[in-house]
Amino acid sequence: MTKRRTTIRAAVALSILWILASLPGKAQVLSSGARTISLNANLSESVSLSLSANTVNFTLTPGSATNAGNTAITATTNWTLRPGRIALSVYAFFASSAAALTDGAGDNIPSSRFSISDNGGAFAPLTNTAPFGGANAGLRLATVFVLLGNLQGRRTDTMNFNIDLSTLPNLPAGTYTGTVTIQVQVI
Amino acid sequence: MNNRKHDLLWIVVIAVFVLGITSLASAQALNSGAQPIALNAQLAESLTVNLSANAVNFTLTAGSATNAGSTNITATTAWVLKPGRTQVTVDAYFASAAAALTDGAGDNIPSSAFFISDNGGASAALVNTVAFGAANGGLRLATVPIVAGNRNSTRNDQMAFNINLTGGTLPQLPAATYTGTLNIQAQATP
Repeated sequence: MTKRRTTIRAAVALSILWILASLPGKAQVLSSGARTISLNANLSESVSLSLSANTVNFTLTPGSATNAGNTAITATTNWTLRPGRIALSVYAFFASSAAALTDGAGDNIPSSRFSISDNGGAFAPLTNTAPFGGANAGLRLATVFVLLGNLQGRRTDTMNFNIDLSTLPNLPAGTYTGTVTIQVQVI
Repeated sequence: MNNRKHDLLWIVVIAVFVLGITSLASAQALNSGAQPIALNAQLAESLTVNLSANAVNFTLTAGSATNAGSTNITATTAWVLKPGRTQVTVDAYFASAAAALTDGAGDNIPSSAFFISDNGGASAALVNTVAFGAANGGLRLATVPIVAGNRNSTRNDQMAFNINLTGGTLPQLPAATYTGTLNIQAQATP
């Protein structure tokens, strides 16, 4: 009986000690004030254009309507846009409509005689006024309407080229050089 | 009246909206970099002569000044030239002045007895030294000055032929078949 009492007393004492040991711990929790961190992740708008090649050669036949370029060139456009953008357009243009290509001696091939077929479509001359380049020296290759589903996107334009000499019967022999520029605008 | 005001209000609202969108869009246009494509177009020089036929027959009369060819031949000269060329000439010539036509037995008709009328002009003997052929065995049919407007062009020379058998010993020319080759050639200079 005495042993049992002793055991009970010991258990009670241990319980009290455990309770006493745990009570001061709860009372000493100390927290700092909350400090906020602002997170700003900026995904910039971008539109980029790359070409599969940068040179096209032509072997001209006098008076011929068909003088194809030796290679097609693919323009790849990638874009990441903000909501609110309406459309993206791909343009080809010359700096001058009168002298798209020239021999440097006053003999010129105008942009109206230079045509592009985009992605297998009909050939079209560069006779429009684009946001870039000379007046009446451009061609809109494509327009992509921007929606929520294509704020990020990509398109390719495979361009075939032709020079029409049927209305340039007096063009002298020579090497005619020029630069057609491809550029994209988002509005 | 209220309907009219209502419509007018809507027109104003739509106009403002469209103008706003347009100005916003133009102000914030985003452009890619410009990617150039170099274009090289080669138009090679060329100069060609084509003939409407390649044979002329003559029925000769001994001692006659007039032995016309059986047919006229038109030479069409076409050229595409670089700037810097100043003229195109068209020449007719034989390889030998002494034996323009021959029977192969030592009897010859010289080039001086062979005449060409070009495009209806006066007949002229092939007695000049031209760019091609034998000395004194040719005739310049045409000279075309080249200017900016005709670097790419064509011309026709319609040739009528005659053999004059009155000169020198030609009246004693023996009966035979006399054959020869007349060449037509063009040159662009310089």
